[in-house]
Amino acid sequence: MRLELQNISKRFGQKPVLTAVDLELKDNQVMSILGKSGSGKTSLLKIIAGLEDADTGNIFLNETSIISQKPNTRHIVYLFQEALLFPHLNVFDNIAFGLQAQQLKAAEIDKRVKAILKEIDLSAHSSKFPQQLSGGEKQRVAFARAIIVQPQVLLLDEPFGALDVDTRETMQKLFLKLMKAYGIAALFVTHDLKEALLIGDQIAKIDKGYLKTYTSQSEFIQDAQSGVKEEIDFWMQIQQSK
Amino acid sequence: MLRRIVHFFLIAVIFLPVAVLLILSFSEHWIFPDVLPENFHRQTWLRLFSTESELRQSLGLSIVVSLCVAFFSTLMGCILSRAVSTSRYKKYYISLAYLPYILSPVVLGVLWHYFAVVIGLNASFIGVVSAQFLICFPFGFIILSSFWTRHISNYEELSITLGSSEWFRFKKVIFPLAKPVLGLCFFQCFLISWFDYGLTQLIGGGQVKTLTLSVFNFINEANIFLAALASLLLVIPPMTLLFFNKKIILKRTLIH
Amino acid sequence: MRKANSLTKFLRLIYVLLIVVPTFAGFTYALLHSLGLTGLLTDGLTLKYWSEALRDFYMWKSIGFSFLIAVISVFLSFCIALFLVLKLTDDFQKKWFHRLLFLPLCFPATVMAFYVMQTFSKSGFLSRLSFQFGWIDHIESFPELTNDAYGIGIMLTSVLLVFPFFTLFLKNIFDAERLQDYGLIAQSLGAKPRHAFWKISLALLWQKSKSTVVLYIIFVMGSYEVPLLLGRQNPQMITPRIVDKAQRFNLHDIPQAYVMALIYLFLVLLLISLMSTRFVQFFKKKTHA
Repeated sequence: MRLELQNISKRFGQKPVLTAVDLELKDNQVMSILGKSGSGKTSLLKIIAGLEDADTGNIFLNETSIISQKPNTRHIVYLFQEALLFPHLNVFDNIAFGLQAQQLKAAEIDKRVKAILKEIDLSAHSSKFPQQLSGGEKQRVAFARAIIVQPQVLLLDEPFGALDVDTRETMQKLFLKLMKAYGIAALFVTHDLKEALLIGDQIAKIDKGYLKTYTSQSEFIQDAQSGVKEEIDFWMQIQQSK
Repeated sequence: MLRRIVHFFLIAVIFLPVAVLLILSFSEHWIFPDVLPENFHRQTWLRLFSTESELRQSLGLSIVVSLCVAFFSTLMGCILSRAVSTSRYKKYYISLAYLPYILSPVVLGVLWHYFAVVIGLNASFIGVVSAQFLICFPFGFIILSSFWTRHISNYEELSITLGSSEWFRFKKVIFPLAKPVLGLCFFQCFLISWFDYGLTQLIGGGQVKTLTLSVFNFINEANIFLAALASLLLVIPPMTLLFFNKKIILKRTLIH
Repeated sequence: MRKANSLTKFLRLIYVLLIVVPTFAGFTYALLHSLGLTGLLTDGLTLKYWSEALRDFYMWKSIGFSFLIAVISVFLSFCIALFLVLKLTDDFQKKWFHRLLFLPLCFPATVMAFYVMQTFSKSGFLSRLSFQFGWIDHIESFPELTNDAYGIGIMLTSVLLVFPFFTLFLKNIFDAERLQDYGLIAQSLGAKPRHAFWKISLALLWQKSKSTVVLYIIFVMGSYEVPLLLGRQNPQMITPRIVDKAQRFNLHDIPQAYVMALIYLFLVLLLISLMSTRFVQFFKKKTHA
């Protein structure tokens, strides 16, 4: 699987949101996209998912253009910052949602959901409703619900933004484990520098609608624009002042 | 002490209407200066159950009119508020929906009467339902507009990317999430229609005799006992709703 | 945002048509009729009906009377509600008290007006009680409280209909804005209770509820059933006056009814346009309530 964006641009009225964005996401890779709020990262993900239209440019999945394909047939799942579990469905039915939409047989759905519940360590919670789960548990269910449909690409819009530090670390590890186990490519948007470095095989930075991709983590770290240098300087100053 | 007096006063003010209506509905004669009517009996209530009872027909008609108005208002309110929810001008669309309430439904009824005559809908069941629909549907629209939030849109977008078709999305996500607000909207519209007098009188020309019209007719005929019974019948559905859900009643009063 | 497809655009058009067309068709017909350009008595463009209506003292009296009734009723309801919220704050925690206040909301205007008629008229319940206690010696001695010249019956009914809603509404603001806490802070800073009431509680409650108050003034002004049952021919509230004129056998009265309706609508729209932004905010808040 290979995702390629060519010259994607988008404006809201007179305001440019994305300008000539090119991107290439390789097979089974996770690309971290670092960006502040209002930088155009959410619009970029929504255009890839087909939830928003681009003004110009093209999107290729395995060298086939998907720009005019309906979002529900693209096999690209978009995950929001919130877990967004359906409040009227229990954990099992939430995870089974995408499989039911594909009209798979009940026995098959049952087998696959139980398997993934085991992997995310929530087998005992399958009949619970979202309001009975903790923040971390909700996010795990949301992951399972996305991964079980075996998407070609997973798009994540600051999925751990609302979690506390400990849960966040656990979720980052679980995420990496599941991505490798299922062989899914992902675009991971975050504003957290450390998280971007920890999660991403590839790394990119988006600012005011312009996307800059880096060939390696070391290139990113050495780039004066990446923000890594400011981070290091900050800690050095703290240390020196003491 | 002040608290006790206020409690007593409030209870009296609030329960007196129900008590007065109940007493009158079980009476036949109330001659001045008797404080209470004489001869309490069930005669008036029993008339309700006789097959030729005009009141019973009014009750049936009111139920059918209000159910039709509530159903179509909720349906159209739901479809149209959805269509408008993604518009940049949503705020202006919603502002438009206040027009019929601010301009007074009765005054609008006067203005619509001519058109009802021209298209042959005056003094007819369909005419009354249509006129009430034009008043109730904007209210349904206002209530349902509050449902289509960014949050609901996120649910929709998520389920789209999970591969669901439009129908599956509606059946599995939108409808279950919207059920409470759809119920609220349905009952609100039902009550607006149920309580309406002016518009029904103007467009129905007195021919579509709903319960509110019956109350007026009985008052005009100086039959206060039947008027009291009809009034109680008008009050029973909202009170039943109050028993189940206070919010429904509060929302209706915002407009009516 | 994906671009709206043609079905969505079509539905938006249907919405606008359903709201705007009936209202503006009514407006247009009324205007044409009032200018003598349509209707059974049409005899070409004339300003006769407009000049007659504009010079009609009773129409202006009706509008003024309606406005006065509405302002007094809403003011009294607001005062009662304020008293209950501030004096019985703790009682709202009790289920029975809360439910009690909801009960009058179940009463349609017609039924409340009928109740007021049976209780406060010369032959009503209170008059009979007064007779039994010897306060009056004749039915005519009881004061005229319904179908009276001052609109007492109409105001009484309007207050009975409006005050429970205002009470619940003000209580919501009271809780949401944490007025009790502000009052305590003001007092801890040295303000006297009276000063804290005027400068904090009342000021905040008024600021948050003034749109609702104006809106209710408009609603009461446009009420129909209550003045129909409890009002009289002179002075008459504007809505029954319009309907009365529109349904007369004299065809010359119909254009005048339309002129009155248009003038009334114009005045209401004027008031609304002055308050427009606040109204949108009011409804936004309400639909989330």
